[in-house]
Amino acid sequence: MSNSSIEYIKKELSPKVRTIGSALFVAGLIIVVLGYITDPVRSAYNNIVGLTFLISVGVGSLFLLTLEYVAGAVWSTPFRRVTEFLAANIYLIPLLAIPLLLNVNTIFQWTHPEPADKTLINKAPYLNVTFFIVRVALFWLIWLCFYFFISKNSVKQDTSRDQSLTKLNIKLSTIFIPLFAITISFAAIDWLMSLSPKWFSTIFGVYYFSGTVLAALAAGTIFIVLLNEKGYFVKGLSSNHYYSLGALLFAFTNFWAYIAFSQYLLIWYANLPEETTWFIVRWQGSWKIISIGLVFVHFLIPYFGLLSQPSKMNPKRLLWMSGWILFAHYYDLYWMTMPNFGKDGVVLGWIELGFPLLIAGLIMLVFNFKAKSQNLVSIGDPKLKRGIDFRL
Amino acid sequence: MSTVDYTQELSVIEGKPPLRELDDLISKPIDAKPTKKFFIALTISGSMLSLLVIGLGLTFYYGIGMWGNNIPVGWAFDITNFVFWVGIGHAGTLISAILFLLRQKWRTGIARFAEGMTIFAVMTAGLFPLIHVGRPWLAAYLFPYPNQHSIWVNFDSPLLWDVFAVSTYFIVSLIFWYVGLIPDFATLRERTNNKIKKITYSIFGLGWRFSNKHWQHYEMVYLILAGFATPLVLSVHTIVSFDFAVSIMPGWHATIFPPYFVAGAVFSGFAMVQNVLIIVRKIFNYEHIITLDTLEKMNKIMLLTGSMVGYAYAMEFFIAWYSGLPIERFTFINRAFGSYAWAYWVMISCNVISPQLFWFKKIRRTIPVMFIIAIFVNIGMWFERFVIIVSSLSRDFLPSSWHLYTPTYVDFMILIGSFGFFFTWLLLFTKALPVVSMAEVKATVTGSQPSHKDH
Amino acid sequence: MMSEKILYSYTGIFDTPDQIIHATEKAVEAGYTKYDVNTPYPLHGMDKAMKLKPSKLGYVALVFGLSGTLATILTIWWMSAIDYPIVIGGKPLFSFPAYVPIVFEVTVLSAAIMTVVSMLFFFFKLPNNSHPLHGTEYMKKVSADKYGISIQADDPKFNESSVKKFLESVHASEIIPIYWDEEEVNHKNKILEPKFIIFLLVVAVITSGVTYFSFNQLMYMVPFNWMMDQPKLSAQQQSPVFADGFGMRQPVAGTIARGDMIYQFTGQPDLAGVKLVNPIPISKESLQLGQVKFDIYCSPCHGYNADGASRLRGQFPNPPSLHSDKVRNWSDGRIFAVVTEGQNTMPSYSSQLSFDERWAVINYLRALQRALNAKESDVQ
Repeated sequence: MSNSSIEYIKKELSPKVRTIGSALFVAGLIIVVLGYITDPVRSAYNNIVGLTFLISVGVGSLFLLTLEYVAGAVWSTPFRRVTEFLAANIYLIPLLAIPLLLNVNTIFQWTHPEPADKTLINKAPYLNVTFFIVRVALFWLIWLCFYFFISKNSVKQDTSRDQSLTKLNIKLSTIFIPLFAITISFAAIDWLMSLSPKWFSTIFGVYYFSGTVLAALAAGTIFIVLLNEKGYFVKGLSSNHYYSLGALLFAFTNFWAYIAFSQYLLIWYANLPEETTWFIVRWQGSWKIISIGLVFVHFLIPYFGLLSQPSKMNPKRLLWMSGWILFAHYYDLYWMTMPNFGKDGVVLGWIELGFPLLIAGLIMLVFNFKAKSQNLVSIGDPKLKRGIDFRL
Repeated sequence: MSTVDYTQELSVIEGKPPLRELDDLISKPIDAKPTKKFFIALTISGSMLSLLVIGLGLTFYYGIGMWGNNIPVGWAFDITNFVFWVGIGHAGTLISAILFLLRQKWRTGIARFAEGMTIFAVMTAGLFPLIHVGRPWLAAYLFPYPNQHSIWVNFDSPLLWDVFAVSTYFIVSLIFWYVGLIPDFATLRERTNNKIKKITYSIFGLGWRFSNKHWQHYEMVYLILAGFATPLVLSVHTIVSFDFAVSIMPGWHATIFPPYFVAGAVFSGFAMVQNVLIIVRKIFNYEHIITLDTLEKMNKIMLLTGSMVGYAYAMEFFIAWYSGLPIERFTFINRAFGSYAWAYWVMISCNVISPQLFWFKKIRRTIPVMFIIAIFVNIGMWFERFVIIVSSLSRDFLPSSWHLYTPTYVDFMILIGSFGFFFTWLLLFTKALPVVSMAEVKATVTGSQPSHKDH
Repeated sequence: MMSEKILYSYTGIFDTPDQIIHATEKAVEAGYTKYDVNTPYPLHGMDKAMKLKPSKLGYVALVFGLSGTLATILTIWWMSAIDYPIVIGGKPLFSFPAYVPIVFEVTVLSAAIMTVVSMLFFFFKLPNNSHPLHGTEYMKKVSADKYGISIQADDPKFNESSVKKFLESVHASEIIPIYWDEEEVNHKNKILEPKFIIFLLVVAVITSGVTYFSFNQLMYMVPFNWMMDQPKLSAQQQSPVFADGFGMRQPVAGTIARGDMIYQFTGQPDLAGVKLVNPIPISKESLQLGQVKFDIYCSPCHGYNADGASRLRGQFPNPPSLHSDKVRNWSDGRIFAVVTEGQNTMPSYSSQLSFDERWAVINYLRALQRALNAKESDVQ
């Protein structure tokens, strides 16, 4: 069964993508720069939220890509390119990481422990600036390498139609997944958990992972639904494909809630002072509202929004919910990070707008850039016909 | 090395057997008289079961003192076995419910059997909380029924959450299994000429007529049950993990326990299912229904979940060091080098190292090798629970309270007997009910569904 | 008895899924409404072909699930915070995070059970083993490897010959008429059949017998009674160990309990008044302790202000006010003697109040006395 019967005409993306993307990017950049000038510490914390968000979208998309290969999924093949374009954001990670690496001493307490603080000093073999930088660089290189080769093979297949490229990508994906598990966990520990260096939670890596997968799915869904409604993909995609996206968003919303609740319940129940500090800080003053809000924003609203079968197939609902879920993930990262800066209450002002705008713009620009040189559909993929014909 | 053609769908059932042949093949063990091999197998499992009965009798009559439990090791074989058997049950629900939701058709050949295993495993597991309480005849006290004790059950206790979780899991699994059996009972009803069997199948089949108006609701309810069973499976072993994780014991109190236990349960469950299925497909000649592809996929899942378990071990270890707390650090060093180090290293080699062999396709598709690896996995997972429970308890906070644990012969009788209990039910199941779902298998044979013209 | 066979439906058997889908679409086109399709397993696209409305069982699941959630939360709240509240581990009485596991489980349980029960008993009206299609060749075939359509005789467009023609036109490999079973037609279903009533009676007798035996007899037999009949000595139990057979013993002569003190002035209250000195200085803690104990033990007779306003409603004679000059002039030790040994109608409170507690009460009494006889200098 060849793919020659499948019709794909490469449509140029609307120039609006570039304009809106650039506008967001510039606006965000201005706010970020102003923020760094006026309040560098607060901006640095915002920077962490932004960086971890970008990692979620970029590396999360790479994970989804490799997962699709390993699981042999066919329903996602017709729009796998979208995930590849989103994974390209991995290139931008140094952009957001370097300002932080130059600023480690202001943000991370463990860079300058008091001499009497035995607990922190004991952590020095792991929590020291050199090793930190090495890890950041190493993880980025691993992510970049796998993205580069997997996407290269995918693009090559467009013209060569060589099935062995799929096999190669499956091999690469299988190796990547365990590496991903380790790197994403330690990235979370480094950037987020070590902000409270005396606190620890074995599930933290899994917690960040659950949000990451959601963010990557949501970002992908937005692009897929928007572009499909405008006919950018091949003919024949049905509500079954939308349903799969909706079901995954629903399932991972539940997974996130499960992990978040497990972490909370165990720490609440045992009531050990070395563990409860983290949650107690998030219950002070106006942080209480944000914490309760997290349950609604990240769980209850997406849960009921995607519960029914029709809702999972409805493009409008999918767009709204995906957008909401992206917001929820940013909210989650903000809730994890900012209480380290503003211990008494919520810090919310114009500075906080900077990074979301910047990153939204960057994602759009990267997508636009990739869509110029590559097909939006992986026309050489042997699973493409099965993917289009996919029915539940 | 055969090349895979990714443009083609892999067939679930090998070949294209006529539907009636499938009916005949699956009904054969039920219609035929039990063979000598069956009776030999039943004798073996029956003897093991009798060990359980004797062990339990001694325990009920003389009390928990017949076991090796002591202070501080208040939990030992009893809870190890409980968690072990509950874990085995989870593979069944995962196969029937989660793989159904993920539209993985290869589950059809094995779902019925796996669900049966779940129910029997949960029954076996349920024995242990019951018998370890000392006065099992007062087990009803665990349920919040209106009473005159002037006290309600303790809703804050994870042990009570277990009561609700395991009961719910058993009931919902049973319902799910039964709903799947209704069409098969009806098919058997139509096939049989034996009067008693006809009445029995008519009762249990509820008079199912294969009407499409019914199939429509049936499929929705099956989907809903699968949709419920999935979070249920996750929640049950999560709640079991809470038994340990809500405490303050180092080595027990780790936030990663919930997903770690669930992954471990799926891991050990799949190992047991794989072992039993290899035997079943050989004995009943179901090789083209329970194909080598199916077995290979199960091995891949074992590789995945085994790696997740390995990740959890590594993360626990790292965070114990990272925490800087001397007691946490000691607990993990003690696990690896203390009095129960031998158990720890059995666990590591069986759980972390042996499933990694499944990276190799040749090994994934060689039956004797995969059989042995799965046995190792089961041994390893039993030891994992043993290590968690006994090594932590025997070396808790106060050194003056430290005490080792030695199992007694009654402990061993109950452990071996639990396998007898499980396998006896399983053997009886193979003779009484169709071990493969006739309706589902027929629905997945190539050519059994209409060709999608413009649907 | 000559009985006319009443026609239930005409059925057509088909060999392939495509054929039955096609036949169904044609049947819908032809305007048949009272018909059904029977297949050994669900066929994709058949629901669409029959133009069936989507199943409402999802709503059933949602409603029962949420009811389960609500009911469980309310029940646990009532049991833990209202009916028999116990503080466990310092957690609040309504400790919601701890209830989440159980609430979740009961939600799933009630949704699952009620959905299946609704489906089987209400949607399908099963169990039903006396449907006309049972026991027919048609049923044998569609339960195995053939697909069938059954057009009922009570369909408005039903006409024996036109239905037969229709089934031939869609290439049915077999056409089988189905008749109502005579027994089923003449059979009147009564819920109170004799067999059923006897069955209920037997179940009732057995259940009540077993229950009675288990709870009233068996639980008191060996080994179930072993924790009830423990070989320890309970209060007021006889004991063969001691000569007088009493289980409860007096303390050994010449000993006092640890932490206790000896009162040396039995029968000599005035001597106690001279010799005993209050060792507890007046302090906030002492006065607070004294107040608590006074309110518990002394106030029923002496009143909260020690003025004799008793709450005994005449069951005991009211004591005189403790603010009289006599009592105010008594030394602390003299009051101690009264509390320890009692006086007139007042019993001894030596078993209710320890030595230190008695001194604290006396301190508090002094504070009360000063309060009711305050001098101007006290205000400064």
